[in-house]
Amino acid sequence: MSAALGQCERCSCPIERGDLRCAVCGLSTPAQDVTEASLRIQILRCGGCGAAVSYDAAAGAPACAFCSSVMHTEELVDPPEQTGAFLPFQVSHDEAASGLKKWLGSRGFFRPADLASSSRLEALKPILWVGWVFDADCDVTWTADSNEGSHRSAWAPHAGRAQLRFDNLLVSASRGLSGKEIDVIAGSYDLNDLREEPAADCALDLGEVHRETFDVQRSAARQRITSAVESAAAAEIAADYVPGRSVRKVHTSVLLRSLETDRLAFPAWVLAYRYKEKLYRAVVSGQDASIMTGEAPISFKRVFAVAAISAAVLFAIVVAIVANA
Amino acid sequence: MASISTRAPDANTLEIQCGDCGATLTLPKTQFAAVCPYCASPSVVDRPVTDGGARREAPDFILGFHVPTEEAERRVANWLSRGRLFAPSAIKAAKVTSTRGIYLPAWIFSAVARSRFRASIGENYTTTETYTTTDSKGKTQVRTRTVTKTEWRKLAGEHACYVNDLVVTASSGLGNAELETIEPFDLGALRRYDPAVVSGWAAEEATLDRGAGDAAARDEGMQAVKAKISRFLPGDSSRLESFETDFSEENTDLVLLPIWVFAARYMNGGEEHTLRVLVNGQTGEVQGVLPRSWIKIAAFSIGVIALVAVVVLVIVAAAGGFA
Repeated sequence: MSAALGQCERCSCPIERGDLRCAVCGLSTPAQDVTEASLRIQILRCGGCGAAVSYDAAAGAPACAFCSSVMHTEELVDPPEQTGAFLPFQVSHDEAASGLKKWLGSRGFFRPADLASSSRLEALKPILWVGWVFDADCDVTWTADSNEGSHRSAWAPHAGRAQLRFDNLLVSASRGLSGKEIDVIAGSYDLNDLREEPAADCALDLGEVHRETFDVQRSAARQRITSAVESAAAAEIAADYVPGRSVRKVHTSVLLRSLETDRLAFPAWVLAYRYKEKLYRAVVSGQDASIMTGEAPISFKRVFAVAAISAAVLFAIVVAIVANA
Repeated sequence: MASISTRAPDANTLEIQCGDCGATLTLPKTQFAAVCPYCASPSVVDRPVTDGGARREAPDFILGFHVPTEEAERRVANWLSRGRLFAPSAIKAAKVTSTRGIYLPAWIFSAVARSRFRASIGENYTTTETYTTTDSKGKTQVRTRTVTKTEWRKLAGEHACYVNDLVVTASSGLGNAELETIEPFDLGALRRYDPAVVSGWAAEEATLDRGAGDAAARDEGMQAVKAKISRFLPGDSSRLESFETDFSEENTDLVLLPIWVFAARYMNGGEEHTLRVLVNGQTGEVQGVLPRSWIKIAAFSIGVIALVAVVVLVIVAAAGGFA
């Protein structure tokens, strides 16, 4: 699943093709072919015309002055991120549409009563959105202020250390779906069923599927993943490790080890429905039609009625109290 | 590729024969790439790392030159012509007498840094206090105000992080302080060492060993860790009182850095002086160690004192004189 060539000897994070040094801890990787040096004077020759080759600063590479051919050396490679595996669609077009009806009917009292019956489905598009899923071990040292042990000030300083393990943490690379939408549908996917190609276990023409790409280089992806690990660690420290009820100024330093990342494409349906001339958008998980998120209109009549009744009741209570007094 | 005989006429030089024209070239033993002055053929001397008389270390990585000669010359000319407050004005008329692009050996150090620290953490709180004041009619009044005070608390803790990308010189010819003036280098552009990248340029071998490099890098690492711990402390304010850092899982790689070395001469007070200017061959950053002009410093100090005196006189005069 992962494109790793081996593991870093220091932090056990995967080393990928083209890495000269570990992206997490900076340890250098062994050369891919080592040739034994002996005492000799070399004049490097151009493979094309046989002239002596010297390094050209303008070209940024060793180049032949006569035939302009450039020699390639082993450089740090920073390829664009590629999807490594696909999760299959398990929700068909019709299931997604009926999922929408059910969802619209269960939006609560403050929505229009005819929301489910009067809404018209305008568009329903299958997409494969992309994201990184990673596992990591973190040795976290932290400091924070909390109310625990405070004296004159409301805050007291604390420090500590924790070993955290993250499994299947998701970082979205999607440009089509918002972070909020992904937060809702992320829990609906089965990460144990990964396919090499886009796939559907239901009636679906894969040709219609809009496929997102990562659109970032490997180095930028690693930065995003590392900062996601750091913020996940900071959130967990603040929630579970800092003593006291109120917490502020949480600082963490993370020693990341065994960071394993998968580049996955997730199925979803993006749909647009019209209610009284206005368009709304919703997103359904491509693996569970009951997991859905989106916009829905609010019935101002109902909100106003509840507010008016509450005000009337409040007024009656006040009148009763005043009359008694 | 030509393989030709070499011999060492003395301990510090290496005599090689050009593979193209047969001319004999002498180069310092610490240099391992050269260009033949007769036929302009580039040669790279490859010596085994282990045997006697061998080079000390084989480079692991190299950063190629990106600033060509003309660009480096233009930047140095600009740099020399800039006006400077405390340097002799004669530097503006300095003449560049030599230009050399050299691959300078340096160590890149990385490690796990585990620290224990002690600090004082300031937590603010507000309190009301009463004070007396006199109003415009001369009556004494008691009033209250809110003031912010700081409670100092002790905190001991741990900090663990990776330190990497620490670059220290491996050349006895160019010290760390001078190298730091043209840093940083973009280590994202590193390539695996390949003789083709030094071909046609001068390249120097490591003359400071790994141990010396590690010691200098640990010092630099300690400063980096100290800055990290200072930012790591909670509270409204904080003071780092002490810390101990232990570096483990250390790794040191030898890298060749591209540097333009310019020698310039200028006349000052009837005497000739020399000046070394360095240009980062990757980013084009220019730096040189400038001499101080004591005349300029003295003139500046007198000017500042005179200005302060004038300001004081004006204030005193405005306040009604010395009466």
